[in-house]
Amino acid sequence: MITQRPMCDVAVIGAGPAGLTAASELAESGRDVVVLDEQGAPGGQIYKGVEKVVADRPQDIGLLGKEYVAGKALTRRFRQSGAQYHPGVSVWQITSDQEPELALGLLQNGSAQMLHPKHVILATGAMERPTPFKGWTLPGVMTVGAAQTLLKSSRLLPEDDVVLVGTGPLLYLYAAQLASFGIRPQAILDTRPSMSWRAARLGLSALTACPKTMLAGMKWLWNARVRVNMVRGVHSLKAQGEDHLSSVSYETRGRRHELSTSLLLTHDGVIPNTWLSMSAGIRHHFDSAQSCWVPDIHGAGSTSRDCISIIGDGARIGGAAVAALQGERVAYEVEAYLRTQHRAMVTTESRALRRQRQLRRFLDCAFPPTADFQLPADETIVCRCEEVSAGEIRQVAARGCMGPNQGKAFTRCGMGPCMGRKCALTVSQVMADARGVSVGEIGHYRIRSPIRPITVGQLADMALVSGED
Amino acid sequence: MTKKCFDVAVIGGGLLGSSLAYGFSQAGLSAALIDEGDNAIRTARGNFGLVWVQGKGEGMREYARWSRKSADGWSNFSDQLSEVTGQDLGYHQSGGFNISLDEAELEEYLRVLESLKADAGEEGYEYELVQGRTLAKYLPGIGEGVAGATYCPHDGHVNPLYLLRALQEGFSKLGGCYMPLSSIDQIQPLQSSGFELLVEGRQVASCERLVIAAGHGSVGLGQQVGISIPIYPEQGQIIVTERSTDQLAYPTNMIRQTDEGTFMLGASARDVGFNSETTTDTLQDIVRRCASAFPNLRNLRIQRNWAALRIMTPDGFPVYSQSEEFPGVFAFSCHSGVTLAAVHVEDVCRWVVDGRIPIDYRCFGPERFDVSTANAFD
Amino acid sequence: MFRLRTHSTDPVTFSFEGRRLTASRGDTIAAALLGSGVFIFRNSPVSSSPRAPFCMIGNCYECFVRVEAMGVVQACLTEITEGMKISKVSNLIDESETGIKESSKR
Repeated sequence: MITQRPMCDVAVIGAGPAGLTAASELAESGRDVVVLDEQGAPGGQIYKGVEKVVADRPQDIGLLGKEYVAGKALTRRFRQSGAQYHPGVSVWQITSDQEPELALGLLQNGSAQMLHPKHVILATGAMERPTPFKGWTLPGVMTVGAAQTLLKSSRLLPEDDVVLVGTGPLLYLYAAQLASFGIRPQAILDTRPSMSWRAARLGLSALTACPKTMLAGMKWLWNARVRVNMVRGVHSLKAQGEDHLSSVSYETRGRRHELSTSLLLTHDGVIPNTWLSMSAGIRHHFDSAQSCWVPDIHGAGSTSRDCISIIGDGARIGGAAVAALQGERVAYEVEAYLRTQHRAMVTTESRALRRQRQLRRFLDCAFPPTADFQLPADETIVCRCEEVSAGEIRQVAARGCMGPNQGKAFTRCGMGPCMGRKCALTVSQVMADARGVSVGEIGHYRIRSPIRPITVGQLADMALVSGED
Repeated sequence: MTKKCFDVAVIGGGLLGSSLAYGFSQAGLSAALIDEGDNAIRTARGNFGLVWVQGKGEGMREYARWSRKSADGWSNFSDQLSEVTGQDLGYHQSGGFNISLDEAELEEYLRVLESLKADAGEEGYEYELVQGRTLAKYLPGIGEGVAGATYCPHDGHVNPLYLLRALQEGFSKLGGCYMPLSSIDQIQPLQSSGFELLVEGRQVASCERLVIAAGHGSVGLGQQVGISIPIYPEQGQIIVTERSTDQLAYPTNMIRQTDEGTFMLGASARDVGFNSETTTDTLQDIVRRCASAFPNLRNLRIQRNWAALRIMTPDGFPVYSQSEEFPGVFAFSCHSGVTLAAVHVEDVCRWVVDGRIPIDYRCFGPERFDVSTANAFD
Repeated sequence: MFRLRTHSTDPVTFSFEGRRLTASRGDTIAAALLGSGVFIFRNSPVSSSPRAPFCMIGNCYECFVRVEAMGVVQACLTEITEGMKISKVSNLIDESETGIKESSKR
């Protein structure tokens, strides 16, 4: 039982490049920093399992690519920084600004407790954009990110009949990683539109700004195009099978094709994971360049709540390099906040950060979200948990339902265990389209804690230690 | 450009407003239902879904009778609404249990029921105290420490969200005009007769009769037509668990199971102003009480929880008022929009059609809170 | 789906639906099952449709499995341990867990 009130200067949630850098900076300058990580080891999704790979499977490091190796130095610095690392902890609540003080609800080893930090840095990273299409709930359909996680953490490799579908840098990177492990997917069903003039122009300046990354990316694409059967202009995807995926069918140039496969991996870029930040009552807006919801950020990571900063992909998709740079910058802001109780903003941007932004502008333009996945056909299930179709959402919208929250109340869409993570964006887009308004105007589900599963018993047994004690 | 003038307009798309709107279109009137946006303060979403009679109306016999009347009419009302919309509301009049965790709670609750029974006189007041093994037979899994529960056959429950959806759909199907995203801020009486409703100076609709059922928004609108509405927000927090295949056959005052299999845990009252954030201590109170009642609920994961602002009046009873200054304008507020839906659709709609609240129901007027009137009787 | 794991330097033995299987120490339950050729982790409580891991980072909640003495867990976030007894989740909670059963409705 906890008798003393658990406190710290800074709690960092997430241990990817953003969280690790910020935590290392602050801990090295003598702050009492606690890092809370849902995963079992530091690295986030991008450097998942990097310590273990270095220790147990050094031969795999080269195969996973240079980008992955960068995680080695980051985790090593973090381990030596003096920050306390708590793996396997889920944060299910950040108290609202209506409660007397800032506190986090944690769940570790099956028991719940509260932590009282003076400042919180959210570095919760990204999640893959939902890719609804007919049959996407079948076992055998999973995301490219999921398959990559299995590769990094458990060296699980797909069988040769694997089919990749969608677009986005991660998809081509994964295909390149598979190639280095000697696997050639059956096909890549590419949904990317042909490159626009604008994208080409942005590509040129991105190439000047970040030549190494751009060249690496071009190599992935080259691999995908030359070594794998890449089909362009794919749409109207369907996954088929009884209890398990057996085939995928799609259309291109007016004709329908079918491939037998037991594994279909989908990807359509990534979006910020905003469930914690939204539940904390932080202001968000719809970012039309990236087609997703992002928190309002000022300076390096200041939000509408002075005691909470957000950095990394959870603030806006920027990639690992930006995440680490933001981690450094935010440390100044948090340091100033801890001294003065007022938020300070770092407004200057380094050249490295500006270069990364040029790269991002290109990526956002060259790999836009796939139209088919954004506005799925009526019969497509949108809410995987409650099995609500796009058609049902359109139906309530047509009858006057004015937004996703009333829609949720009327259809149960978004009420299941994933709490809307896999349908929120789609529902907002479908409703906005049906009502002829912008996605920003139609709004987003109101997200409330607990944002991670906690049982009735765990909440009942939690010790609440008030500030006066 | 002049828009169509409706026979009646209802401001407020909650359970109360939607019930009335549905009732009007059923009665053949041309009606408009004017609602706010997706992020409005939605008291309807804070509803637990009980169609409840027991324990209600101490200190106001008419309210006890009113709740009973509605509960008795609910079955018919539900059937009709389902027929119009083709939707199942998940209504069950199974009877319900009020669980008292300890002896003191039970003793106090029995006192309330006895006083209601005395009030009811010849009309009778049915309830039954169930304890120990018998209770465990009706409510398997009930905690051993639970002092007892009272059963009332008139109680039941319904899915309040499906009820709201069905009312609005039924209303539209019968020809009603649903107008969302319109936060009326001005009521303008017309020279001839009727009223204009405006949003930021822009006319949204005009009507012969007007019902203000805008929840907390009613206060400001009521003032414009000379009706004072003494309500304040009371926060209720509700927790919903994941789906379970197990069944709790009866709704109770603190836990009920939905048709989907989720359990709703609830009933908390906090006077917090217009704050709709959930708070940890209140949620913990709810789960602790519910876990004492049904210890095995402890294994269920919490799916979501939310806070909603209920309408509370100083004595907890509904307020039904009409404007003396502007005949044809009514303002209604209550926190039992589910239980009272059946009488709202039938009786209250008729009051509006007739143009006045019958004398028997004037006891629900806001005058009862009037300090000067109260003093006169001292 | 995935290539079956043939050998492991540091094996862990566990069971799924009574079948004895092995995985590598440090694997998540999800990786252990997928590497052993298990395709279906649960049935949805809405339509009983079969489900399996989708996102692998704890967001989609498709990979729920039941672990003896732990209850229902997310397989992608839970590490496999020696002797773990895992089963499919057909309904999220079984009767033995809540003890609230159907009683005679009147």
